[in-house]
Amino acid sequence: MTTTTMTHDEAHHHETPKGWRRWLFSTNHKDIGTLYLTFALIMLFLGGASAMLIRLELFQPGIQLLDPDLYNNLVTNHALIMIFGAVMPAAAGLANWMIPMMIGAPDMALPRMNNLSFWILPAAATMLVLSFIVPFFPGGGTQINTGWTLYPPLSIQVGMSMDFLIFAIHLLGISSVLASINIIVTLLNMRAPGMTLLKMPMFCWTWLVTAFLLILVVPVLAGGVTMLLFDRHFGTSFFDAAGGGDPVLFQHLFWFFGHPEVYILLLPSIGVLSHVIPAFSRKPLFGYNSMVGAMIAVATIGMVVWAHHQYTIGMSLGAVTYFMIGTILISIPVGLMVFNFIATMWRGSMTFETPMLFAVAIILMFTFGGLSGVMLAVVPADMQYQDSMFVVAHFHYVLMPGAVFGLFAGVFYWLPKWTGHMYDEKLGKLFFWINVIGFNITFFPQHFLGLAGMPRRIVDYNVMFTEFNVISSIGAMIFGLSHLLLLYIIIKTIRGGKKAESRAWEGAKGLEWELDSPPAFHTWTVAPQIK
Amino acid sequence: MTIPEHQTPELRRKNLRLALALAGLAIFFLVTSFPFWSGLFKLVGNQAGQ
Repeated sequence: MTTTTMTHDEAHHHETPKGWRRWLFSTNHKDIGTLYLTFALIMLFLGGASAMLIRLELFQPGIQLLDPDLYNNLVTNHALIMIFGAVMPAAAGLANWMIPMMIGAPDMALPRMNNLSFWILPAAATMLVLSFIVPFFPGGGTQINTGWTLYPPLSIQVGMSMDFLIFAIHLLGISSVLASINIIVTLLNMRAPGMTLLKMPMFCWTWLVTAFLLILVVPVLAGGVTMLLFDRHFGTSFFDAAGGGDPVLFQHLFWFFGHPEVYILLLPSIGVLSHVIPAFSRKPLFGYNSMVGAMIAVATIGMVVWAHHQYTIGMSLGAVTYFMIGTILISIPVGLMVFNFIATMWRGSMTFETPMLFAVAIILMFTFGGLSGVMLAVVPADMQYQDSMFVVAHFHYVLMPGAVFGLFAGVFYWLPKWTGHMYDEKLGKLFFWINVIGFNITFFPQHFLGLAGMPRRIVDYNVMFTEFNVISSIGAMIFGLSHLLLLYIIIKTIRGGKKAESRAWEGAKGLEWELDSPPAFHTWTVAPQIK
Repeated sequence: MTIPEHQTPELRRKNLRLALALAGLAIFFLVTSFPFWSGLFKLVGNQAGQ
């Protein structure tokens, strides 16, 4: 794709700041990327712990550990922590680390705002965790038993913990929008001379589209929860039917954000795959232009099909038909992306290092999740599946492979660049297999549970569902604990290991691989020329 | 490294202009994509009429 006249990082080697000031006041994209990734890893364990508690409770029928409200509070927090605390910050971490190095820029366009975008996150996470903890204290009110969708009227009736949650969502939204603005400005204004938009690395393209999506939909969520806050405390009736409001309005506002959010989580990982698959197939990405077009199509169509999450609210036949057809249409550009990935591998000189193993697993499992998505998009079928464990299985098959495994692939792919050390490949592959097998044991049986009629978000279940729940819970323990191995591999790689070359992978292409491993504190202070 | 070292004043102005335009877009979506203000005005109107 792009080549450069520079063969080595000619950055000025300014002294790296030391101590806590380096991190608190950092405006360096690499340090902020590290902060994002560390934060995401912590939240991954927090969200994972809540998931394991949920699965422990569901190990047997009856109520074992958690009362119903606490169970639903855990479900709510698990989703919010994983989406806003783990996946989005991890993707932002990859963006911070890689985008300037990929486009030949010395840093992000607005470095101070970059610092602010990150440091809002710990405050937001504190509010999020407080929303879970507050009900345990005297006068703390009731648990948040709404699920992450926060539907009124229940969310109007919940105690003060909901206010913490609303404030957390506001902060998370501000952080996301600021980071998105920074990424767009960086990508549009800071590219190296000669790097036209259609020469930009695919990871940058995915983030450009993602950042626009974030700017368009996050403010709508912020508006929705602000109205919720007003209904709770200031006597308005936006969503309160008793006062002339309409609770369904909140559902529309929420899903106008919520559905594009799925693509916000997916696209950066698609960007990672667009680098990993060519590198380990030793071939250029098949159909670069069509990938860009498909991504823009996914984002555009994805913004106007939100109400397929609401088929059962009683929309007109015309409306549900529109949302059904629109939703199914998305499978065309998504299918094109999958086709391009397979075509890239076709007759490639493939090797299966850990990032590539994750990439192949993603193609298989994400496609599977997409197929159950087409089932759910069909209105009469969805009437049966909605609010069942089938939906839980579906979105975990989309989001775990589509988003999280993609991030894992990215971490393994770029870890040698970041740390200067190769990770332990044997341990990486061991992690991959335990993780992927654990994931499938956990979520595959949930399809059957849902089809047999087990509802989601209910702490207890009929004894007829026991066997599959036992299997699912055992899988969840394997899956959850496997992430300790990931943590060990990362720490081991940071501390030492085989020295990584500038181009850590034989087939890796792009400006970032022309820099040292690890790169200097400041890189591309002299912009490379792209031919 | 300070910001001016890697951004010319012209580039910095260009960056800020685009950032402000994008922030404006976000605020536009916040304000117009839901009937927040109309509901608020209705509430204020009802209270004023009481």
